[in-house]
Amino acid sequence: MAELSDVVNETLRYEIEEFIEREDELERNITLFSKIRPSMQDIAAALIEGDNGSVDVLTKAALADGIEAVEIMDNGLIAGMGIVGIKFRENFIFVPEVLACARAMKAGMAYIEPILSASGVAKAGSVIMGTVKGDLHDIGKNLCIMMLRGSGFEVFDLGVDTSADEFIDAVEEHEAHIIGMSALLTTTMPNMGKTIEAFIDADLRDDVQIMVGGAPVTQEFADDMGADGYGKDALACVSLAKELVLALA
Amino acid sequence: METETDKEGYQKRLDRITEIFADMVTHADTQASERCPYRNRFDECTAKIHCRNQAPPRPEGELLMCGHDGGFDYRDAWESDPDSYDKAKAKIEKIKKDASSKRSAKSDSTSGTKPDST
Repeated sequence: MAELSDVVNETLRYEIEEFIEREDELERNITLFSKIRPSMQDIAAALIEGDNGSVDVLTKAALADGIEAVEIMDNGLIAGMGIVGIKFRENFIFVPEVLACARAMKAGMAYIEPILSASGVAKAGSVIMGTVKGDLHDIGKNLCIMMLRGSGFEVFDLGVDTSADEFIDAVEEHEAHIIGMSALLTTTMPNMGKTIEAFIDADLRDDVQIMVGGAPVTQEFADDMGADGYGKDALACVSLAKELVLALA
Repeated sequence: METETDKEGYQKRLDRITEIFADMVTHADTQASERCPYRNRFDECTAKIHCRNQAPPRPEGELLMCGHDGGFDYRDAWESDPDSYDKAKAKIEKIKKDASSKRSAKSDSTSGTKPDST
């Protein structure tokens, strides 16, 4: 049976010892990480620390060393994210740390996805996401982006305080045809409607599918403003995006 | 070369990532009942917005501390009161009406029809 000391990476050893409490998870992670090569352990450790710069460098180096993309995905990125999930569930870390780890995962996936695409694996779709003009809340949007990327979508994040023109420019620049708009304030919710009207004015409304979400937004409000879909949370956002991809086909 | 196994294998991995993230999103919602989602593990505020719970300034470049005791349901802050929701709905109607009028006027002017002055 594998021992914790068989895990070469010091950070990983610390993470496993300090934060994993359930016996079955402890055994599973020690067994997993003791078997994988040190460079994969390094990627997993950097991801757990939310260090996207290191994940970027280490993933690139691993591929250059001839390591298969799927091995990096399994033993570096997904294995690391598994520990992040446990730490979050046990309240050792919180949403901001989780989002940093998700960004680190994206840094690694940026090298993996083109390889998978080249081998014929198509992305689920492309989505442009942003919080509407006047609104600086981004946690909900960022959780949606995390879920979308995890489900194989390519996401262009326009950040917060996004004007209608910025959404339109992004559609033209990235040729993405699904838009996701978020608002947390009732005072900024109407800006979703303004953006939809701007797409009509730009003669682009028929080219895009627009989904909306955010705590004060409802299905009724989404219907009133003429959106194509409403997602009440990040899980619904992914299901909706998949439906909208089909609607575009 | 593309193989079915490649696709299936990739999909399995995506499903695993989705499973991990879905658990996280579900937990994030539960956690919001007692902790602001912008508050990190060092009790610093990562929000770009102003909040009355942000503690006094810290040295430049450092995040502000969250000064709340943590004993509140953050989701309440997300719930809008019916009045402001109704106002937002009325505003949407106005935005749509104004945009439609503008488009009609533009269409009339390009087709040479004079707008109705009545």
